[in-house]
Amino acid sequence: MKRSFSIVMGVALLALLVPVHAQERSGTLVVALSSDPTSLFLPRAADRTATNASLPLYDSLVWINDDLEVVPALAERWEISDDGTEYVFHLRRDVTFHNGEPFTAESVVATWETGSDSSNDYSNFYTAANLVEAIDDYTVRITTPEPIATFLTSVALSWGMVPPEYIREVGIDAFARRPVGTGPFRFVSRAAGDRVVMEANPDYWQPDMPMVAGLEFRVIPDASTRMAAIQTGEIHIANRLTPDQAMALEGAAGVEIVSYLNDRAYYVGFKNVGAGAGTPLEDPRVRQALNYGSDRFGIIAAVFAGQAEPIPGFVIEGNLGYDEALMQPFPYDPERAMELLAEAGYPDGFEISMGCPADGYVNINEVCLALQRTLGQIGVEVNVEFRTTNSFWSEAEYGAVGAMFVDSWSSTIGEALPRLDGALMPGNFYTAWHDDRFAERISAIERTVDRGERAALYVEMHELMYEEPPFIYLYQPTIFEAVSDRVQGYLPRAAEEYFLGRVSLD
Amino acid sequence: MLGYFLRRTFESVLLMLGVLVLVFFMVRLTGDPVSLIIPMDAPPAQREAFREALGLNEPLLVQFTSYLVGAVQGDLGTSLRRRGEANLDIILARLPATIQLALAALAFATIIAIPLGLAGGMRPGSAIDTIARGVGLAGQTIPSFWLGMLLIVLFAVTLRWLPSFGRDGFASIILPAIALGFAGMGQLVRLTRSAVLDVRRSDYVRTAHAKGLRPERVSLKHVLPNVAIPIVSVLGIQFTYLLGGSVYIEVVFAWPGLGSLLEGSVRDADFPLVQAITIFISLFAISIHLLTDLVYGLLDPRLRHA
Repeated sequence: MKRSFSIVMGVALLALLVPVHAQERSGTLVVALSSDPTSLFLPRAADRTATNASLPLYDSLVWINDDLEVVPALAERWEISDDGTEYVFHLRRDVTFHNGEPFTAESVVATWETGSDSSNDYSNFYTAANLVEAIDDYTVRITTPEPIATFLTSVALSWGMVPPEYIREVGIDAFARRPVGTGPFRFVSRAAGDRVVMEANPDYWQPDMPMVAGLEFRVIPDASTRMAAIQTGEIHIANRLTPDQAMALEGAAGVEIVSYLNDRAYYVGFKNVGAGAGTPLEDPRVRQALNYGSDRFGIIAAVFAGQAEPIPGFVIEGNLGYDEALMQPFPYDPERAMELLAEAGYPDGFEISMGCPADGYVNINEVCLALQRTLGQIGVEVNVEFRTTNSFWSEAEYGAVGAMFVDSWSSTIGEALPRLDGALMPGNFYTAWHDDRFAERISAIERTVDRGERAALYVEMHELMYEEPPFIYLYQPTIFEAVSDRVQGYLPRAAEEYFLGRVSLD
Repeated sequence: MLGYFLRRTFESVLLMLGVLVLVFFMVRLTGDPVSLIIPMDAPPAQREAFREALGLNEPLLVQFTSYLVGAVQGDLGTSLRRRGEANLDIILARLPATIQLALAALAFATIIAIPLGLAGGMRPGSAIDTIARGVGLAGQTIPSFWLGMLLIVLFAVTLRWLPSFGRDGFASIILPAIALGFAGMGQLVRLTRSAVLDVRRSDYVRTAHAKGLRPERVSLKHVLPNVAIPIVSVLGIQFTYLLGGSVYIEVVFAWPGLGSLLEGSVRDADFPLVQAITIFISLFAISIHLLTDLVYGLLDPRLRHA
């Protein structure tokens, strides 16, 4: 008995001693993309598809782990000054780029400089820092003009480190065609509209990654074709399926369905500027009434076959500060709604216009019409104005269409801040509701670097936004993906992001 | 003769100009692309800088002039989304896949349709004629994108004989070529069949039969050459149609050609690219039609005097 125990221990110890990178990397992971990535250079990767296809090539100074904590990556450690505007990063010394250039403080400076170029769609992620300087070869100081709560998060997700010599030699355009990073995969080739091919980086600084020998992204725009290709085994991960398609794949051999709530809040925005000025919406009782009178549960059941969750506000499931016990969606209560309308002086309701981005989101046209019906039942006659998406979101129209409008806002950082800031901070392009109390609280969140304190501020923000709602809170949708049962370790996040370093194939 | 050539060329140039004008203004009717491209929470200053960099702040007439001058010189502008890439380069990179698919579809349609149409036309009312008419009807009524999905489900998912998507060697072109060529095949069967029926009633065929030639010899020597003229002209038209009409099929089969590029750039609101693709396909089609007409003019004197 005792002897067999020691054998087991011995085997276990041996297993621990064998270096992990001795593990065979085998197989080529094939992942479908719903569109051709616009660029593999992160500051120009215009959408989720493009960033997902780019991320395997790069690393940043820090990383956000699956528990949404900021953890070390190319920086081993860092210090933040007391006023929260100065970050000193101490870099790893054992990292090289795919082309052999060493990773140093100079690389961080070059990444910031090229990322800030105004020709990049996402230059704002880089210009948030106003100074990046190398203190020595492996120490770098980044200064921001004011404390930014989510700065490290945006560094983690956007600042993919680039090799200074190479990018200065060839320029951004050529770099984007043959990208070089420090990431777990190296770029091999790309065929426009067809595929991006990558291979495992054998010198990766985290020797237990990646876990497959090759990685291929295949562009398959049509969801039903992705559905077919996952069944035939030609691809291993098919994202962006509709609930119907996911249901149809239920029980298919070798295919598993993954579903999760998307970090995207759908809402009806109210305006107290432009077309909304002087309307009944300025009375908080009316805005409450519209929330009580919107049957979000019925809409989810009828339009989404139950595949979405009602939201209590802008802080939603998966966000910092979210607390299910504290945060319940408005109940559907048409009588309470009509009482509130009567109190506010509108016993017979009123007429109001609502802009709607036609086909801008899944089933959004049906949602707009359902809202018109459900609000009609409390006496509010809604005139729905459909607009094409690029006129709806254009500067002139966003201010002009409707005293109310239907829209949504996602967040990639696990916090409600981007949507709060974007939809409620006066001066921002899409802000149609101006209230200084909201603006003050958002500024406070933006300047609070401590997560615990920030969580408390989110709760406070939620309470005010529930009491005097600037929106009708609707729902967050469920995302469906189909994954081959050969795939291990695939963990997509709420913003439809995935990281493939730890994914393996049986 | 020269007058006919000049007139047709002039008409084509006029048509091309019309296309250029139409495309420019239609694309701009849909609104402001900047909002769809840069992030929603971008500060107003960044928006303004971006718009300035793209030349969207210029008056429309100035934009139109530089666009027109560029187009005449073969410069179709640069993409909004694929920053730094010339539209023409993007298009030319995708063109081979589309031409390849169009040729394969045309080959499929011809190989099936011409023998079937001939056989049916030679023996009206027979079993083979019923099949020919059925195929003709099916080809012209079954929507190609639906057929494409059906083919994927049957040959890729259920039977596992062929790949369900992509451009990966010969096996991968079979299903999209069938789906794309099916409609053309229907048209060709009907055309061949009715042309054969016409020719069969002509005097020279009756004469050939009367002098005792075997029926097979009559088909090959006397019917086929005379049927060939309308078929060849329709094939030319079919080819341009296949080039422009493959959007659905390319999307369904994830075929990386011009059609899927067009679909993607519409979705991305990349309007300079949409504009460039539309112009490219239109000019391509107009040129082929012009060329066909000129060749016809040479072959058939009745046309150039009409």
